[in-house]
Amino acid sequence: MLLSTIVFLPLAGALLVLLVGGRGDNPEREGTVRLVALASSLVTFAATMYLWWAFDPVSADFQFVERYEWLPKFGISYHLGVDGISLFLLVLTGFLTPLALLSSWAGIHKSVKLFSFFMLALETAMLGVFVSLDLFLFYLFWDAMLIPMYFLIGVWGYDRRIYAAVKFILYTMAGSVLMLLAIIGLAYAHPGAPSFDVLDLYKLNLPWSLQNWFFLAFALAFAIKVPLFPFHTWLPDAHVEAPTAGSVILAGVLLKMGTYGLLRFAFPLFPDAALFYAPWIARLAVIGIVYGALVAMVQPDMKKLVAYSSVSHLGVVVLGLCAVNVNGIQGAVYQMLNHGVSTGGLFMVVGMLSDRRHTRLISEYGGLKAVAPRLVAAFLLITLASIAMPGMNGFIGEFLILMGAFKQFPWLTAVGATGVILSAVYMLWMFQRVNYGEVTNPKNSALPDLSGREWAMMIPTVAMCIFMGVAPALFLRPMEPSIAKLIDLIHGVGR
Amino acid sequence: MNGFAATIPILIVVLSAIAAMLAEAIRHPGERMYIAGFGLIGLVGALVASCFLWDTDAISFGVVRADNFSLFINIILCIVGILTMVFSNDVVEREQLPAGEYYALTLFGISGMMLMAAAVDLLVIFLALEVLSLAVYVLTGLRRSSAQGAEAAFKYFLLGAFSSAFFLYGIAFAFAVTGSTRLDAVAAAMLSGPTQPLALLAVGLMAVGFSFKVSAVPFHMWTPDAYEGAPTVVTAFMSTAVKAAAFAAFARVFLSTLEPFQGHWGPVLSVIAVATMIVGSVLGVLQSNIKRMLAYSSIAHAGYLLLGIVAANRSGKAAILFYLLAYAVANLGALGIVALLGTADEPHDQLRDFAGLWRSRPGLAGLLTVFLLSLGGFPPTAGFIAKWYIFSAAMQEGHYWLAIIGVLTSVISVFFYLRIVVMMYMTEEAGAPARPRISIPSMLALTFAVLATFYLGVLPTKVLDYALQSIETIF
Repeated sequence: MLLSTIVFLPLAGALLVLLVGGRGDNPEREGTVRLVALASSLVTFAATMYLWWAFDPVSADFQFVERYEWLPKFGISYHLGVDGISLFLLVLTGFLTPLALLSSWAGIHKSVKLFSFFMLALETAMLGVFVSLDLFLFYLFWDAMLIPMYFLIGVWGYDRRIYAAVKFILYTMAGSVLMLLAIIGLAYAHPGAPSFDVLDLYKLNLPWSLQNWFFLAFALAFAIKVPLFPFHTWLPDAHVEAPTAGSVILAGVLLKMGTYGLLRFAFPLFPDAALFYAPWIARLAVIGIVYGALVAMVQPDMKKLVAYSSVSHLGVVVLGLCAVNVNGIQGAVYQMLNHGVSTGGLFMVVGMLSDRRHTRLISEYGGLKAVAPRLVAAFLLITLASIAMPGMNGFIGEFLILMGAFKQFPWLTAVGATGVILSAVYMLWMFQRVNYGEVTNPKNSALPDLSGREWAMMIPTVAMCIFMGVAPALFLRPMEPSIAKLIDLIHGVGR
Repeated sequence: MNGFAATIPILIVVLSAIAAMLAEAIRHPGERMYIAGFGLIGLVGALVASCFLWDTDAISFGVVRADNFSLFINIILCIVGILTMVFSNDVVEREQLPAGEYYALTLFGISGMMLMAAAVDLLVIFLALEVLSLAVYVLTGLRRSSAQGAEAAFKYFLLGAFSSAFFLYGIAFAFAVTGSTRLDAVAAAMLSGPTQPLALLAVGLMAVGFSFKVSAVPFHMWTPDAYEGAPTVVTAFMSTAVKAAAFAAFARVFLSTLEPFQGHWGPVLSVIAVATMIVGSVLGVLQSNIKRMLAYSSIAHAGYLLLGIVAANRSGKAAILFYLLAYAVANLGALGIVALLGTADEPHDQLRDFAGLWRSRPGLAGLLTVFLLSLGGFPPTAGFIAKWYIFSAAMQEGHYWLAIIGVLTSVISVFFYLRIVVMMYMTEEAGAPARPRISIPSMLALTFAVLATFYLGVLPTKVLDYALQSIETIF
């Protein structure tokens, strides 16, 4: 019951929020609503931490498995389980949601009740995606996740929010409906009765023609979500127009659903096709790394810059996945977590600046170091984590990925590694223009430094960046058995 | 069971219709009377009777068969009817519709629909078709002062009369080939000899007749005009009930009697299904009137339902029933809200009328959102399960392209459902239209529809089982 509890705790919180929010739009209850929402996300986080504590790190099997018949005639069951890969994505989701909620306290004043409701509903959908071991259930959470995100962007976003929200939902749906058909086809390819159970389907030996089409349909859905070049065009719009909390969740967790999907479903379900297409996906990933970095470099808007940096960083993750060896995949999973923390943190910082000045243009800032030194210090540490400074979390992840990928694609990896350098260029250049030099704009001369609430957001984020950089074994060890098993599955050992 | 048993639900509805007419006749001018109550009593009675008849497979007069298939449709029709009665009680007076005629015609229409679903004789199907059509033609033009309504009714009537003629011609040819109009006799006779051109002609003409009633492309031209011109509550009723009845007869005739000809009609209906899905969803995007938009949406849904007929397997047949139920609840809910917000002067049916609805009526906006998401096929609502079921039926028969076109057009249709959501939540109210209050019974009815939408979306097992049981008896 632990996993179900974790998944549905936020939803319960969401309903509670509706209850305490009173009728209609009730500004007097705003504070209560915020506290209730924050409390339920914190309880969820505590539950995910307990899950980590209770998790057996040497086992490669799925743990805390729950399985109930749901639509038995169709081979659909309510099947949840967690392994070393999904465990940390749950923790990450639990970690980021309270921070995202906190980040909205200054910026969001319109219908806080509905906002909190959608944030918590979104958390349930995200957690559900990571623990589903039944493809039908997985698709249900995957698709249901779109609705709250659509509202978050469309109602509380910036100027072009409606365009961005509609683009986001249509783009993602167009990819995922084809995956739905592939899921149906796959279930009926199961000999005897149809089955949507992932563990059953792992054992299938599908003919190449089916694998080919099914893999392409799955890969398209996940590639759009990641987003992999050239399917990334929804991302800058969605990121820039979303409110800070939306961006944090979008970059921190939603994008990982794409890479997680590749790793959990597309690769092991269709191993022959996966190994055939992996070098091609790796090429797209490398194009994305370089392209995202180059585009990020010329962005005048901080949020857009961070958005394009996500395209680049997620390219690195996909490169690691495509290597299909322990180093590559372990690095990729670790980097998913790192990117979640550091890019989530960057969006929070950009949100704080834009809460103060109502602009995100780099040229509007300058010399903040003298004005708000504590904010800038946090900004610096998160930036360093994002550009993979040794000692920070990003370094471990990118190093493992490059090591793994180099064994498989030496030349490609060499090109991809320039992304690491380029990321230092664009991030530090932005950091320098925003924070160093003289205060050129008089509006910046009296910006307040971190408030108590912002301290509460920055301390865990920065601490996590450093902690994951110095104690990676704590994370990597529980992952290892599951990853080794997954790689065996892809290479056909024990199938 | 005596010979009348199968007709009991139909008779109950007819009696309540007569009661509504009599009530209108003895009503003093200006006296308020709860005529909807007669309808409610009759429909609840028919619902109970249908439940009692479950699994009995009663046949009356050899032409009306209360098998589980028709009873499932009866139950859908009763739910639609009950919700319509509740909404009508709010709306009829406000829209200045003639109450007696309105309730009587609606109930007679429902009796025709029930007969259509239960008929196992081509002539009785035709009879039922005419009963329901005439009722709906008049209901479309019921607001006598409205030129638009008159135009819609006239268009609907003319085209409908044409299609009825086609259908009747088809029956005539079938009779000429087989010497009978009983479905089982027709099937036996058609199977015995070599395929005759006349038989194929009969199949084609009947396909035209049914395609018109379910508003499949290219026989859909009447739908947007009729839906827009009719009083909204009538639109809500006919977009759900007529579709359910027509698809019931369509499925019964094509999937049992004419199943041997599947090689002939299958490809034709596939083409019609593709055209219907594409036209419905693409043209829906262009509409600014919400009734027209939902008219195109109902065309698109007819296309998805046709996939079930084309698939022609057990899943496909059961999927049609489940889909009809899911669609009925969601569409009736959505159009019901539009109807409840309208008045005689302000129909509240333009997209911009919905701007900022969430601010002034958060609950109502939430309900409408759920209905629209269900129509768009989002989990965890009924629409998702319905679409999943019908597409997987098509996939099982190897109709991959039909399924791919189906899912892609449903993404297009999501775009226009979301346009309404954008209006409600993301656009500020301009000049607030005076929106009438919604009575408690209507609110309860809408709440029921929302709960049903979620129930069918999260725990569909039971209803899916009933749907599978329903098709056992006749296919």
